[in-house]
Amino acid sequence: MNESPPNDVLKSVWQNQKTEGIRMSADDLRRKAKQFHGKILWRNLREYLAVLAVAALFGFEFWRTTDVLARAGFALTIAGMLYLVWQLYRKGSSRALPAEMGLASGLEFFKRELERQRDLLQNVGKWYLGPLVPGLAIITIASARSNPGHLRHFALFLALYSLIVAFIFVSIWKFNRRAARKLQRQIEELDALKEPR
Amino acid sequence: MPAHASTQDDLYQEAAETYGSAVERLARGYEADPDLRRDLLQDIHVALWRSFAGFDGRCSLRTWIYRVAHNVAASHVIRQRRAKSATLVELEELENLPDPSASAAAADRRHVLERLLELIQRLKPLERQVILAYLEGLEAAEIGDITGISPANVATKIHRIKRILARRFQEGGQYNE
Repeated sequence: MNESPPNDVLKSVWQNQKTEGIRMSADDLRRKAKQFHGKILWRNLREYLAVLAVAALFGFEFWRTTDVLARAGFALTIAGMLYLVWQLYRKGSSRALPAEMGLASGLEFFKRELERQRDLLQNVGKWYLGPLVPGLAIITIASARSNPGHLRHFALFLALYSLIVAFIFVSIWKFNRRAARKLQRQIEELDALKEPR
Repeated sequence: MPAHASTQDDLYQEAAETYGSAVERLARGYEADPDLRRDLLQDIHVALWRSFAGFDGRCSLRTWIYRVAHNVAASHVIRQRRAKSATLVELEELENLPDPSASAAAADRRHVLERLLELIQRLKPLERQVILAYLEGLEAAEIGDITGISPANVATKIHRIKRILARRFQEGGQYNE
């Protein structure tokens, strides 16, 4: 019976643990690589389809209404959503290819991932919220114009509605900015690990 | 089949033969669930095979394999952490946390391995890379190449790892080899 394991014994325990010896044939690898592509494609497609489904609802309203201003609002909102899908496609998913993973150290790989996420969150006003604002604002104005009979009550309702929407937009923006600052701190911590002490 | 494809296949065969067990141990350090671990291991193998299409010998084959394997596994941890909202810690924090499994019964080799895995799986991905590479017997310089951490910081982390391991496994009392 020995004393508690020193580090070299722990290394030996670690290195001599039983393994299954998994190995894949060339055919298996090619099939799995194809499956992996399909999985990524489907995951992205689901994100785009969700936005496009909402855009389709606005499209239906565009087709239904006869008011030119409302139509302009719906068209602008749909354009904003298409822009959003395009941005999701450009920035949304991690694009690190296996060969890049071999070239990048763990720290560089992490840093790149964190920077990508930080930029996405920091610019949420530009690529996510901003493009939807003009269309939604025009739809709101068009709704106010189309109800002149009950204008006073409707104006009150509209002001309240606009306030709530503005509150939601500002909250999303602030929440994302805060998350981006948190990521920035993590990036700075990683940078410190690269520097000699 | 084009020439680069056979080189890619050859490199994969060499990697699987020479480092297959090390990659399996690495996956064990990143995922506790056996089914998820099998998926992770397959993902690492596929990523390695795909990566060899771009292998240009800029670093050693071993460094390349560890980098790809660790980066795939780290992505897995980030995804799983989002799903499970698990809190991962740094070595510094781990040093101050009590060991829940420390007892006189923690004496046999299997139990030591279980406790070691439990400890590794609580660490943040970059810290896991260092401890796993250390346990594999890699030198500090190569750990620096794989992780990108400066040699001085690698030395500090290894020193901390040694201290944590010594303390945690001394608390277990006697050890039967």
